[in-house]
Amino acid sequence: MSGKFRTWQCENCGFIYDEAQGLPDEGIAPGTRWEDIPDDFVCPTCGFEKAQFVMVEV
Amino acid sequence: MKIPQDIAQTIVDPKAYSAQKPIDDAFKWLRKEMPLAVAEPEGCYPFWVVTKHDDILHVERQNELFHNGDRPTVLTNITGEKRVREIMGGSPHLVRSLVQMDNPDHGNYRRLTQPYFLPQNIKKLEGRIREIAKSFIDRMEDKGGTCDFARDVAFLYPLHVIMEILGVPEVDEPFMLRLTQELFGPADPDVNRTRKANMTEEEGLQAILATVADFVTYFNKMTKDRREHPRDDVASVIANGTIKGQPLGELEAMSYYIIVASAGHDTTSNTTAGALWALAENPSEYKKLKNNFAELMPGFIEESIRWVTPVKHFMRSATDDTTLRGTPIKKNDWLFLSYPSGNRDEDVFDDPFTFKVDRTPNKQIAFGYGAHVCLGQHLARMEMRILWEELLPRLESVELAGEPKRTEANFVCGPKSVPIRFRMH
Repeated sequence: MSGKFRTWQCENCGFIYDEAQGLPDEGIAPGTRWEDIPDDFVCPTCGFEKAQFVMVEV
Repeated sequence: MKIPQDIAQTIVDPKAYSAQKPIDDAFKWLRKEMPLAVAEPEGCYPFWVVTKHDDILHVERQNELFHNGDRPTVLTNITGEKRVREIMGGSPHLVRSLVQMDNPDHGNYRRLTQPYFLPQNIKKLEGRIREIAKSFIDRMEDKGGTCDFARDVAFLYPLHVIMEILGVPEVDEPFMLRLTQELFGPADPDVNRTRKANMTEEEGLQAILATVADFVTYFNKMTKDRREHPRDDVASVIANGTIKGQPLGELEAMSYYIIVASAGHDTTSNTTAGALWALAENPSEYKKLKNNFAELMPGFIEESIRWVTPVKHFMRSATDDTTLRGTPIKKNDWLFLSYPSGNRDEDVFDDPFTFKVDRTPNKQIAFGYGAHVCLGQHLARMEMRILWEELLPRLESVELAGEPKRTEANFVCGPKSVPIRFRMH
Protein backbone atom coordinates (compact mmCIF):
# COMPACT_ATOMS: atom_id res chain seq x y z
CA MET A 1 0.00 0.00 0.00
CA SER A 2 1.33 3.43 -0.81
CA GLY A 3 0.21 6.87 0.31
CA LYS A 4 0.62 9.09 3.29
CA PHE A 5 1.02 7.51 6.70
CA ARG A 6 -1.99 7.98 8.95
CA THR A 7 -2.57 8.22 12.69
CA TRP A 8 -5.14 6.31 14.74
CA GLN A 9 -6.29 7.18 18.23
CA CYS A 10 -7.68 5.13 21.11
CA GLU A 11 -11.09 6.53 21.98
CA ASN A 12 -10.63 5.66 25.65
CA CYS A 13 -7.26 7.09 26.55
CA GLY A 14 -6.14 9.17 23.57
CA PHE A 15 -3.09 7.03 22.74
CA ILE A 16 -1.98 7.66 19.16
CA TYR A 17 -0.71 4.99 16.79
CA ASP A 18 1.40 6.60 14.07
CA GLU A 19 1.90 4.29 11.09
CA ALA A 20 5.21 5.97 10.26
CA GLN A 21 6.67 5.19 13.67
CA GLY A 22 5.02 1.84 14.35
CA LEU A 23 5.38 0.43 17.86
CA PRO A 24 8.78 -1.26 17.99
CA ASP A 25 8.35 -2.15 21.69
CA GLU A 26 5.20 -4.08 20.75
CA GLY A 27 6.89 -5.77 17.78
CA ILE A 28 5.22 -3.52 15.20
CA ALA A 29 7.77 -2.15 12.74
CA PRO A 30 7.82 1.49 11.57
CA GLY A 31 5.71 1.83 8.44
CA THR A 32 3.15 -0.81 9.47
CA ARG A 33 -0.27 0.13 8.18
CA TRP A 34 -3.22 0.03 10.56
CA GLU A 35 -4.97 -2.66 8.50
CA ASP A 36 -1.88 -4.88 8.78
CA ILE A 37 -1.98 -4.86 12.57
CA PRO A 38 -3.59 -8.04 13.97
CA ASP A 39 -7.20 -7.80 15.10
CA ASP A 40 -6.24 -8.88 18.62
CA PHE A 41 -4.09 -5.75 19.05
CA VAL A 42 -4.94 -3.78 22.19
CA CYS A 43 -4.03 -0.23 23.11
CA PRO A 44 -0.67 -0.38 24.91
CA THR A 45 -1.65 2.20 27.49
CA CYS A 46 -5.20 1.16 28.39
CA GLY A 47 -5.92 -2.24 26.84
CA PHE A 48 -8.90 -1.17 24.70
CA GLU A 49 -9.38 -3.16 21.50
CA LYS A 50 -8.31 -2.24 17.97
CA ALA A 51 -11.95 -1.61 17.01
CA GLN A 52 -12.02 1.26 19.49
CA PHE A 53 -9.42 3.27 17.60
CA VAL A 54 -10.44 6.00 15.17
CA MET A 55 -8.41 7.70 12.46
CA VAL A 56 -7.38 11.22 13.44
CA GLU A 57 -5.33 14.09 12.05
CA VAL A 58 -2.69 15.28 14.49
CA MET B 1 -4.21 -17.78 52.42
CA LYS B 2 -3.65 -14.86 54.75
CA ILE B 3 -0.74 -12.44 54.61
CA PRO B 4 1.39 -12.36 57.80
CA GLN B 5 0.20 -9.54 60.03
CA ASP B 6 3.48 -7.59 60.03
CA ILE B 7 3.42 -7.42 56.21
CA ALA B 8 -0.29 -6.53 56.19
CA GLN B 9 0.39 -3.62 58.57
CA THR B 10 3.40 -2.44 56.57
CA ILE B 11 1.63 -2.15 53.22
CA VAL B 12 -0.94 0.27 54.64
CA ASP B 13 1.43 2.24 56.87
CA PRO B 14 1.98 5.85 55.66
CA LYS B 15 5.39 5.91 57.35
CA ALA B 16 6.47 2.83 55.40
CA TYR B 17 5.71 4.66 52.13
CA SER B 18 7.76 7.60 53.35
CA ALA B 19 10.72 5.34 54.13
CA GLN B 20 10.08 3.26 50.95
CA LYS B 21 12.45 0.38 51.80
CA PRO B 22 9.88 -1.38 54.04
CA ILE B 23 7.39 -1.12 51.17
CA ASP B 24 9.87 -2.41 48.59
CA ASP B 25 10.81 -5.31 50.89
CA ALA B 26 7.21 -6.18 51.76
CA PHE B 27 5.99 -6.28 48.17
CA LYS B 28 9.11 -8.10 46.97
CA TRP B 29 8.33 -10.80 49.52
CA LEU B 30 4.64 -10.87 48.59
CA ARG B 31 5.31 -11.12 44.84
CA LYS B 32 7.50 -14.14 45.51
CA GLU B 33 5.63 -15.88 48.32
CA MET B 34 2.02 -14.65 48.19
CA PRO B 35 1.38 -12.78 44.94
CA LEU B 36 -2.37 -12.75 45.57
CA ALA B 37 -3.51 -13.17 49.16
CA VAL B 38 -5.74 -11.62 51.77
CA ALA B 39 -4.58 -8.92 54.18
CA GLU B 40 -6.51 -7.82 57.24
CA PRO B 41 -4.68 -4.90 58.85
CA GLU B 42 -5.94 -3.85 62.27
CA GLY B 43 -9.30 -2.10 62.03
CA CYS B 44 -9.83 -2.90 58.33
CA TYR B 45 -12.11 -5.23 56.48
CA PRO B 46 -10.09 -7.97 54.73
CA PHE B 47 -8.99 -7.36 51.15
CA TRP B 48 -7.02 -9.14 48.43
CA VAL B 49 -3.59 -7.64 47.78
CA VAL B 50 -2.89 -7.71 44.04
CA THR B 51 0.88 -7.44 43.63
CA LYS B 52 1.64 -8.71 40.11
CA HIS B 53 1.73 -6.49 37.03
CA ASP B 54 -0.36 -8.92 34.94
CA ASP B 55 -3.02 -9.27 37.62
CA ILE B 56 -3.38 -5.51 38.04
CA LEU B 57 -3.90 -5.17 34.27
CA HIS B 58 -6.37 -8.09 34.33
CA VAL B 59 -8.48 -6.43 37.03
CA GLU B 60 -8.33 -2.93 35.57
CA ARG B 61 -9.23 -4.14 32.07
CA GLN B 62 -12.49 -5.65 33.33
CA ASN B 63 -14.20 -2.59 34.69
CA GLU B 64 -17.65 -4.20 34.70
CA LEU B 65 -16.44 -7.21 36.73
CA PHE B 66 -14.36 -5.09 39.12
CA HIS B 67 -16.12 -1.90 40.19
CA ASN B 68 -14.59 1.27 41.58
CA GLY B 69 -17.58 2.69 43.40
CA ASP B 70 -19.40 -0.09 45.24
CA ARG B 71 -16.96 -0.01 48.17
CA PRO B 72 -14.39 2.65 49.14
CA THR B 73 -12.08 3.37 46.18
CA VAL B 74 -9.23 4.29 48.53
CA LEU B 75 -8.34 2.08 51.49
CA THR B 76 -10.46 3.17 54.47
CA ASN B 77 -10.73 1.46 57.83
CA ILE B 78 -14.01 0.15 59.22
CA THR B 79 -14.67 3.12 61.52
CA GLY B 80 -13.82 5.64 58.81
CA GLU B 81 -16.06 3.95 56.26
CA LYS B 82 -18.93 3.80 58.75
CA ARG B 83 -18.62 7.54 59.51
CA VAL B 84 -18.45 8.45 55.82
CA ARG B 85 -21.55 6.38 55.10
CA GLU B 86 -23.36 8.20 57.95
CA ILE B 87 -22.36 11.59 56.58
CA MET B 88 -22.98 10.76 52.90
CA GLY B 89 -26.36 9.07 53.18
CA GLY B 90 -25.03 5.55 52.76
CA SER B 91 -22.34 6.19 50.14
CA PRO B 92 -18.79 5.10 51.07
CA HIS B 93 -17.34 8.17 49.27
CA LEU B 94 -16.89 11.75 50.47
CA VAL B 95 -16.52 12.88 46.87
CA ARG B 96 -17.79 11.34 43.64
CA SER B 97 -15.27 11.98 40.90
CA LEU B 98 -14.31 9.81 37.92
CA VAL B 99 -12.33 7.45 40.14
CA GLN B 100 -15.36 6.66 42.31
CA MET B 101 -17.70 6.13 39.33
CA ASP B 102 -18.63 3.11 37.27
CA ASN B 103 -20.53 3.01 34.00
CA PRO B 104 -22.69 4.50 32.71
CA ASP B 105 -21.78 7.59 34.78
CA HIS B 106 -18.04 7.08 34.40
CA GLY B 107 -18.12 7.16 30.60
CA ASN B 108 -20.55 10.08 30.50
CA TYR B 109 -18.55 12.20 32.94
CA ARG B 110 -15.18 11.29 31.43
CA ARG B 111 -16.30 12.27 27.92
CA LEU B 112 -17.15 15.73 29.20
CA THR B 113 -13.52 16.82 29.64
CA GLN B 114 -11.68 14.10 27.70
CA PRO B 115 -11.35 16.21 24.50
CA TYR B 116 -9.55 18.90 26.51
CA PHE B 117 -6.84 16.45 27.60
CA LEU B 118 -6.21 14.68 24.27
CA PRO B 119 -2.72 15.06 22.74
CA GLN B 120 -3.98 17.09 19.79
CA ASN B 121 -5.54 19.64 22.14
CA ILE B 122 -2.81 19.93 24.75
CA LYS B 123 -0.28 20.36 21.91
CA LYS B 124 -1.81 23.83 21.51
CA LEU B 125 -0.69 24.61 25.07
CA GLU B 126 2.94 23.65 24.48
CA GLY B 127 4.19 27.22 23.88
CA ARG B 128 2.54 28.56 27.02
CA ILE B 129 3.71 25.62 29.15
CA ARG B 130 7.27 26.16 27.87
CA GLU B 131 7.10 29.80 29.02
CA ILE B 132 5.95 28.65 32.46
CA ALA B 133 8.72 26.03 32.65
CA LYS B 134 11.36 28.61 31.70
CA SER B 135 10.12 31.01 34.35
CA PHE B 136 10.49 28.37 37.07
CA ILE B 137 13.98 27.45 35.86
CA ASP B 138 14.93 31.15 35.91
CA ARG B 139 13.69 31.30 39.50
CA MET B 140 15.71 28.20 40.32
CA GLU B 141 18.82 29.80 38.83
CA ASP B 142 18.17 32.91 40.91
CA LYS B 143 18.43 30.75 44.04
CA GLY B 144 22.18 30.84 43.46
CA GLY B 145 23.21 27.20 43.47
CA THR B 146 21.09 25.58 46.17
CA CYS B 147 17.37 24.99 46.42
CA ASP B 148 14.75 22.52 47.49
CA PHE B 149 13.80 21.23 44.08
CA ALA B 150 10.53 19.74 45.36
CA ARG B 151 9.29 22.90 47.04
CA ASP B 152 10.82 25.52 44.75
CA VAL B 153 10.14 23.94 41.34
CA ALA B 154 8.41 20.56 41.27
CA PHE B 155 5.39 21.47 43.42
CA LEU B 156 4.82 24.82 41.75
CA TYR B 157 5.27 24.26 38.02
CA PRO B 158 2.57 21.58 37.41
CA LEU B 159 0.35 23.47 39.87
CA HIS B 160 0.60 26.64 37.78
CA VAL B 161 -0.06 24.73 34.53
CA ILE B 162 -3.18 22.93 35.74
CA MET B 163 -4.57 26.02 37.47
CA GLU B 164 -4.31 27.96 34.20
CA ILE B 165 -6.11 25.10 32.43
CA LEU B 166 -8.77 24.90 35.12
CA GLY B 167 -9.11 28.67 35.36
CA VAL B 168 -7.94 29.33 38.94
CA PRO B 169 -6.12 32.68 39.30
CA GLU B 170 -2.45 32.62 40.26
CA VAL B 171 -3.12 34.34 43.56
CA ASP B 172 -5.10 31.28 44.71
CA GLU B 173 -2.45 28.72 43.80
CA PRO B 174 -0.89 28.50 47.30
CA PHE B 175 -4.39 27.82 48.69
CA MET B 176 -4.97 25.04 46.14
CA LEU B 177 -1.55 23.54 46.92
CA ARG B 178 -2.27 23.54 50.64
CA LEU B 179 -5.68 21.88 50.20
CA THR B 180 -4.17 19.26 47.88
CA GLN B 181 -1.44 18.41 50.37
CA GLU B 182 -4.00 18.21 53.17
CA LEU B 183 -6.14 15.87 51.08
CA PHE B 184 -3.34 13.52 50.07
CA GLY B 185 -1.18 13.72 53.20
CA PRO B 186 -3.64 13.39 56.11
CA ALA B 187 -1.16 11.38 58.20
CA ASP B 188 1.84 13.63 57.59
CA PRO B 189 2.30 16.34 60.25
CA ASP B 190 4.27 18.49 57.78
CA VAL B 191 1.31 18.87 55.43
CA ASN B 192 -1.94 17.79 57.09
CA ARG B 193 -4.54 20.31 58.19
CA THR B 194 -3.87 20.19 61.92
CA ARG B 195 -0.08 19.66 61.69
CA LYS B 196 -0.50 16.98 64.34
CA ALA B 197 1.40 13.70 64.18
CA ASN B 198 -1.10 11.43 65.85
CA MET B 199 -4.61 12.58 65.19
CA THR B 200 -7.49 10.46 66.44
CA GLU B 201 -9.61 8.91 63.71
CA GLU B 202 -12.35 11.46 64.29
CA GLU B 203 -9.87 14.37 64.17
CA GLY B 204 -8.52 12.98 60.90
CA LEU B 205 -12.00 12.71 59.43
CA GLN B 206 -12.92 16.22 60.55
CA ALA B 207 -9.72 17.57 59.01
CA ILE B 208 -10.50 15.96 55.65
CA LEU B 209 -14.11 17.19 55.83
CA ALA B 210 -12.86 20.72 56.45
CA THR B 211 -10.49 20.48 53.48
CA VAL B 212 -13.26 19.23 51.19
CA ALA B 213 -15.53 22.01 52.50
CA ASP B 214 -12.90 24.61 51.57
CA PHE B 215 -12.68 23.21 48.07
CA VAL B 216 -16.48 23.19 47.75
CA THR B 217 -16.86 26.78 48.95
CA TYR B 218 -14.21 27.92 46.47
CA PHE B 219 -15.59 26.01 43.50
CA ASN B 220 -19.20 26.95 44.20
CA LYS B 221 -18.17 30.57 43.64
CA MET B 222 -16.35 29.53 40.50
CA THR B 223 -19.41 27.70 39.16
CA LYS B 224 -21.53 30.80 39.65
CA ASP B 225 -18.95 32.95 37.90
CA ARG B 226 -18.50 30.60 34.91
CA ARG B 227 -22.23 30.23 34.42
CA GLU B 228 -22.48 34.01 34.16
CA HIS B 229 -19.20 34.54 32.31
CA PRO B 230 -18.06 31.35 30.53
CA ARG B 231 -14.43 31.26 29.40
CA ASP B 232 -12.14 28.89 27.51
CA ASP B 233 -11.20 26.87 30.60
CA VAL B 234 -12.06 23.54 32.18
CA ALA B 235 -14.04 25.24 34.99
CA SER B 236 -16.44 26.54 32.33
CA VAL B 237 -16.79 23.02 30.91
CA ILE B 238 -17.68 21.67 34.35
CA ALA B 239 -19.95 24.58 35.29
CA ASN B 240 -21.89 24.57 32.02
CA GLY B 241 -21.55 20.96 30.93
CA THR B 242 -24.57 18.73 30.57
CA ILE B 243 -25.05 14.98 30.59
CA LYS B 244 -28.10 13.81 28.70
CA GLY B 245 -29.37 17.38 28.72
CA GLN B 246 -29.03 17.87 32.48
CA PRO B 247 -26.38 19.87 34.38
CA LEU B 248 -23.87 17.84 36.39
CA GLY B 249 -25.00 16.76 39.85
CA GLU B 250 -23.75 19.12 42.56
CA LEU B 251 -21.59 16.50 44.29
CA GLU B 252 -20.26 15.29 40.95
CA ALA B 253 -19.43 18.81 39.74
CA MET B 254 -17.60 19.68 42.98
CA SER B 255 -15.76 16.37 42.85
CA TYR B 256 -14.75 17.03 39.23
CA TYR B 257 -13.18 20.37 40.20
CA ILE B 258 -11.46 18.76 43.18
CA ILE B 259 -9.88 15.92 41.22
CA VAL B 260 -8.56 18.29 38.53
CA ALA B 261 -7.31 20.76 41.15
CA SER B 262 -5.53 18.08 43.21
CA ALA B 263 -4.59 14.99 41.19
CA GLY B 264 -4.00 17.28 38.21
CA HIS B 265 -0.69 18.50 39.65
CA ASP B 266 0.38 16.51 42.72
CA THR B 267 1.23 13.33 40.81
CA THR B 268 3.31 15.20 38.21
CA SER B 269 5.03 17.15 40.98
CA ASN B 270 5.93 13.95 42.81
CA THR B 271 7.29 12.36 39.65
CA THR B 272 9.33 15.42 38.68
CA ALA B 273 10.86 15.75 42.15
CA GLY B 274 11.56 12.02 42.31
CA ALA B 275 13.21 12.08 38.89
CA LEU B 276 15.65 14.80 39.88
CA TRP B 277 16.37 12.99 43.14
CA ALA B 278 17.17 9.84 41.13
CA LEU B 279 19.41 11.76 38.72
CA ALA B 280 21.28 13.45 41.57
CA GLU B 281 21.90 10.04 43.16
CA ASN B 282 22.97 8.43 39.89
CA PRO B 283 25.62 10.63 38.23
CA SER B 284 26.26 8.13 35.43
CA GLU B 285 22.56 8.08 34.50
CA TYR B 286 22.48 11.87 34.67
CA LYS B 287 25.48 12.09 32.35
CA LYS B 288 23.96 9.57 29.94
CA LEU B 289 20.75 11.55 29.81
CA LYS B 290 22.39 14.94 29.53
CA ASN B 291 24.58 13.80 26.63
CA ASN B 292 21.65 12.47 24.63
CA PHE B 293 18.50 13.91 26.10
CA ALA B 294 16.58 14.38 22.85
CA GLU B 295 16.71 10.67 22.07
CA LEU B 296 16.37 9.39 25.64
CA MET B 297 13.62 11.78 26.75
CA PRO B 298 10.51 9.60 26.17
CA GLY B 299 12.11 6.63 27.94
CA PHE B 300 13.44 8.78 30.78
CA ILE B 301 9.95 10.13 31.41
CA GLU B 302 8.44 6.62 31.52
CA GLU B 303 11.20 5.52 33.88
CA SER B 304 10.59 8.54 36.13
CA ILE B 305 6.91 7.64 36.30
CA ARG B 306 7.72 3.98 37.06
CA TRP B 307 10.34 4.95 39.61
CA VAL B 308 8.09 7.24 41.65
CA THR B 309 4.67 5.67 40.99
CA PRO B 310 2.91 8.46 42.90
CA VAL B 311 -0.47 6.69 43.15
CA LYS B 312 0.18 3.86 45.58
CA HIS B 313 -3.10 2.00 45.29
CA PHE B 314 -6.71 1.96 44.24
CA MET B 315 -9.37 -0.44 45.49
CA ARG B 316 -11.80 -2.44 43.38
CA SER B 317 -14.64 -4.79 44.35
CA ALA B 318 -15.85 -7.83 42.44
CA THR B 319 -19.36 -7.61 41.02
CA ASP B 320 -19.57 -11.39 40.61
CA ASP B 321 -17.78 -14.58 41.59
CA THR B 322 -14.64 -14.97 39.47
CA THR B 323 -11.06 -16.22 39.57
CA LEU B 324 -7.76 -14.35 39.53
CA ARG B 325 -4.43 -16.17 39.22
CA GLY B 326 -6.47 -19.35 39.60
CA THR B 327 -7.78 -18.20 42.96
CA PRO B 328 -11.54 -17.87 43.57
CA ILE B 329 -12.67 -14.30 44.24
CA LYS B 330 -16.17 -13.91 45.65
CA LYS B 331 -18.71 -11.31 44.67
CA ASN B 332 -18.19 -8.11 46.72
CA ASP B 333 -14.59 -9.07 47.68
CA TRP B 334 -12.36 -6.02 47.97
CA LEU B 335 -9.06 -5.80 46.06
CA PHE B 336 -6.05 -3.55 46.73
CA LEU B 337 -4.17 -2.86 43.47
CA SER B 338 -0.57 -2.01 44.34
CA TYR B 339 0.95 0.07 41.55
CA PRO B 340 4.43 0.32 43.18
CA SER B 341 4.47 -3.46 43.35
CA GLY B 342 3.37 -3.86 39.73
CA ASN B 343 6.08 -1.41 38.71
CA ARG B 344 8.77 -3.45 40.48
CA ASP B 345 7.53 -6.83 39.21
CA GLU B 346 10.62 -8.91 38.44
CA ASP B 347 8.69 -10.83 35.74
CA VAL B 348 8.18 -7.63 33.76
CA PHE B 349 11.14 -5.36 34.61
CA ASP B 350 14.80 -6.38 34.52
CA ASP B 351 16.64 -5.13 37.58
CA PRO B 352 13.48 -3.33 38.79
CA PHE B 353 15.10 -1.54 41.74
CA THR B 354 17.56 0.29 39.48
CA PHE B 355 16.79 3.63 37.86
CA LYS B 356 17.71 3.42 34.17
CA VAL B 357 17.10 6.43 31.93
CA ASP B 358 17.28 4.16 28.87
CA ARG B 359 15.08 1.33 30.19
CA THR B 360 13.28 -0.40 27.35
CA PRO B 361 10.72 -1.80 27.15
CA ASN B 362 9.01 -0.03 30.01
CA LYS B 363 5.41 -1.06 30.52
CA GLN B 364 4.94 0.98 33.68
CA ILE B 365 1.38 0.99 35.04
CA ALA B 366 1.45 4.09 37.22
CA PHE B 367 -1.36 5.71 35.21
CA GLY B 368 -3.58 2.67 35.67
CA TYR B 369 -5.10 0.76 32.78
CA GLY B 370 -8.48 0.17 31.17
CA ALA B 371 -11.41 2.57 31.27
CA HIS B 372 -10.04 4.39 34.32
CA VAL B 373 -6.57 5.07 32.92
CA CYS B 374 -5.41 8.56 33.96
CA LEU B 375 -7.22 11.29 32.03
CA GLY B 376 -4.27 13.67 32.39
CA GLN B 377 -1.49 11.28 31.36
CA HIS B 378 -0.68 13.09 28.09
CA LEU B 379 -0.54 16.45 29.83
CA ALA B 380 1.67 15.02 32.58
CA ARG B 381 4.13 13.59 30.07
CA MET B 382 4.20 16.83 28.08
CA GLU B 383 4.79 18.96 31.19
CA MET B 384 7.69 16.78 32.26
CA ARG B 385 9.21 16.67 28.76
CA ILE B 386 9.11 20.45 28.45
CA LEU B 387 10.63 21.03 31.89
CA TRP B 388 13.52 18.66 31.21
CA GLU B 389 14.05 20.03 27.68
CA GLU B 390 14.48 23.46 29.21
CA LEU B 391 16.39 22.47 32.34
CA LEU B 392 18.90 19.88 31.15
CA PRO B 393 20.76 22.07 28.64
CA ARG B 394 21.19 24.73 31.35
CA LEU B 395 22.06 22.42 34.22
CA GLU B 396 25.80 21.78 34.40
CA SER B 397 25.78 19.68 37.56
CA VAL B 398 23.45 18.58 40.33
CA GLU B 399 23.93 16.73 43.60
CA LEU B 400 21.96 16.21 46.77
CA ALA B 401 22.60 18.84 49.44
CA GLY B 402 20.80 17.05 52.24
CA GLU B 403 18.52 14.12 52.85
CA PRO B 404 15.38 14.11 50.67
CA LYS B 405 12.10 13.22 52.36
CA ARG B 406 8.87 11.65 51.16
CA THR B 407 5.36 12.45 52.37
CA GLU B 408 3.86 10.00 54.85
CA ALA B 409 0.85 8.71 52.94
CA ASN B 410 -0.46 5.42 51.59
CA PHE B 411 -2.60 6.70 48.72
CA VAL B 412 -0.82 9.44 46.72
CA CYS B 413 2.66 10.51 47.72
CA GLY B 414 6.21 11.22 46.67
CA PRO B 415 9.07 13.49 47.68
CA LYS B 416 8.18 16.47 49.85
CA SER B 417 11.74 17.79 50.04
CA VAL B 418 14.68 17.33 47.65
CA PRO B 419 17.52 19.67 48.70
CA ILE B 420 20.05 20.06 45.90
CA ARG B 421 23.26 21.86 45.07
CA PHE B 422 23.56 22.74 41.39
CA ARG B 423 25.48 24.73 38.81
CA MET B 424 23.98 26.26 35.70
CA HIS B 425 25.93 26.76 32.46
